[in-house]
Amino acid sequence: MLARYVVRRVVASIPVVFGVTLITFGLLHATSGAFVPGLELNPNLRPEDIIRIRNNLGLNDPLPVQYWHWISGLLHGDFGRSLVDGSPVLRHISDRLPNTIELTITAILLGILISIPLGVVGALRRGSVIDNFFTFLSVAGVSIPSFWLALLLILLFSVSFHAWGLPWLPSGGAESAFGGGDPIDRITHLILPATCLAFVYIAIWSRFTRSSMLEVLSQDYVRTARAKGMSERRVTYLHALRNSLVPLVTLIGLELPGLVSGGAIIEIVFSWPGVGRLALERALQYDYTMVLGLTTFVALLVVVGNLLADVIYALLDPRIRYA
Amino acid sequence: MADHLLEVQDLHTVFPTKDGVVKAVDGVSFHLDPGETLGIVGESGSGKSVTVLSVMRLLQRPGRIASGRILYKGRDLAKASDPEMQEIRGEEIAMIFQDPMTSMNPVFKTGWQVGEPLRLHKNFDAKKALKEAVGFLHKVGIPEADKRADQYPHEFSGGMRQRAMIAMGLSTGPNVLIADEPTTALDVTIQAQILDLLRKVNHDFGTATILITHNLGVVAGMCERVMVMYAGKVAEQGPTEDVFANPKHPYTWSLLRSIPRLDAQEHEPLRAIEGLPPDLINPPTGCPFHPRCPFRIDRCIREMPPLEPVGPTQLATCWVTQAGRDLNEAAS
Repeated sequence: MLARYVVRRVVASIPVVFGVTLITFGLLHATSGAFVPGLELNPNLRPEDIIRIRNNLGLNDPLPVQYWHWISGLLHGDFGRSLVDGSPVLRHISDRLPNTIELTITAILLGILISIPLGVVGALRRGSVIDNFFTFLSVAGVSIPSFWLALLLILLFSVSFHAWGLPWLPSGGAESAFGGGDPIDRITHLILPATCLAFVYIAIWSRFTRSSMLEVLSQDYVRTARAKGMSERRVTYLHALRNSLVPLVTLIGLELPGLVSGGAIIEIVFSWPGVGRLALERALQYDYTMVLGLTTFVALLVVVGNLLADVIYALLDPRIRYA
Repeated sequence: MADHLLEVQDLHTVFPTKDGVVKAVDGVSFHLDPGETLGIVGESGSGKSVTVLSVMRLLQRPGRIASGRILYKGRDLAKASDPEMQEIRGEEIAMIFQDPMTSMNPVFKTGWQVGEPLRLHKNFDAKKALKEAVGFLHKVGIPEADKRADQYPHEFSGGMRQRAMIAMGLSTGPNVLIADEPTTALDVTIQAQILDLLRKVNHDFGTATILITHNLGVVAGMCERVMVMYAGKVAEQGPTEDVFANPKHPYTWSLLRSIPRLDAQEHEPLRAIEGLPPDLINPPTGCPFHPRCPFRIDRCIREMPPLEPVGPTQLATCWVTQAGRDLNEAAS
């Protein structure tokens, strides 16, 4: 049953991916500007050179033909080449992706591990001092801009701690330039950006867990569970929690594209060599093929994230599988 | 009278709210003997469910037991600790609820849920508990019980779920089974099947049963004794036959009179009880039924009558009948 469900979901997502490529391609070609940055301004090129270069790049072909070249390349796993440095787009992505995954997965795990207990405690002790404190933290987490929080964290843990002679954390990069790269070194670099990124997740997810848990705790089957004579702990963590996690899974699944988009600001503040920073740098350089490739890649992540969420959803709630 | 299986004495359960304290259960006393079936009848809000939820100590916050004793085998459950109550619930006293569609956890398989009390109370391992659960599902009349045990609750119909709930309650062999309106959410034909099953359970397993219902017909067919509740108080209790033949409280009398009859004259109006149920925050003075009572005397407005024997077998809280008047005669 579950396998059939997954296959059905995968097949259903194919048109979505196709539509996304069409829209991305269309939008980028609708924006004004030369498709090859700075070509017209280069004094060493004659007009016929420019025409020749554009012809070589296929930019004078009709749009459908260009789209066909691009999409057939995509189907073969070829995202094209960067217009800035001529190297394959896919290689840029695969160079940067591990860093981004490292950062985001750490942040997501931190978020899950902290937000769920916070939400559960908040629900169980609704209205208490501790619940109000968590509420305050959540509002703060959502309201504080992450770049500002990032700068403050750097100021405190990197600059001030260094000045006070305390053990300090690096302010940027994924590893030390000299002699870095061992796991300890990478972890120390990871702490600040991951915390910063996780802070927002914790703020949102803990609220979500709390309200979802409150709703589940008032359900009849929770009363049934109590009537069976189990401990309150078992009622909460076995019978109630699993039900309350179902909607949270969707929310977390939707964070997967945040690999690139949401983390971009943090990647920039902490000079983290990830995909988000790559996307921003290249967008500023008018590297169209790169932006096209990255956007398509993010779209794929959205689809995969949703798919993953749906599968976990079905694993948690048997009613979904047959719907 | 220490040999009652369960004896509730002067139970008061309150719900503090913004508008004031709701006295949901206000001085209720009753008892249950081994193997017998007691019906609790009353309209919505009369405190039937809150009474049994108090016995199980499963009140939703902010509800709490204000005073009274709940003696089970001589132990006072009103004062029992949480771990003590966890031992009692599901093992000594089991409970099934009104709506079988929402009373089972949607994310666990039925057999697992039915076997859970066995794992909790009898230390069965998962395999043994499941085997036993399948046995009980079979006993409550679920066909292909071994396959059904492997299904989730949403794959069951309402009647089948209520059967599964009963199997869940019975699996540990409890002394008391509390059924809180077990058939209200079901089709009429299924209702009859579930009531049959409850009767069979009571007969075969000797489980004392408290059946809460607002259906007087169900009580007539199922229960040896009946307790009628009104506004959180006991109106009347006694053997079902006697109460039905000769009600000793005007509320019971009105209830019985309001049942539509098949042999009624055409276009004869239904006889409803005049007035509205009382406000439980500011109940009427004296007897809470007095504003609606056709037999009211002055004393009813001033003083609440105690629960006292009226006739050889019944107890009632009514000045009129306690003074020796017969309601059927008085009405005619």
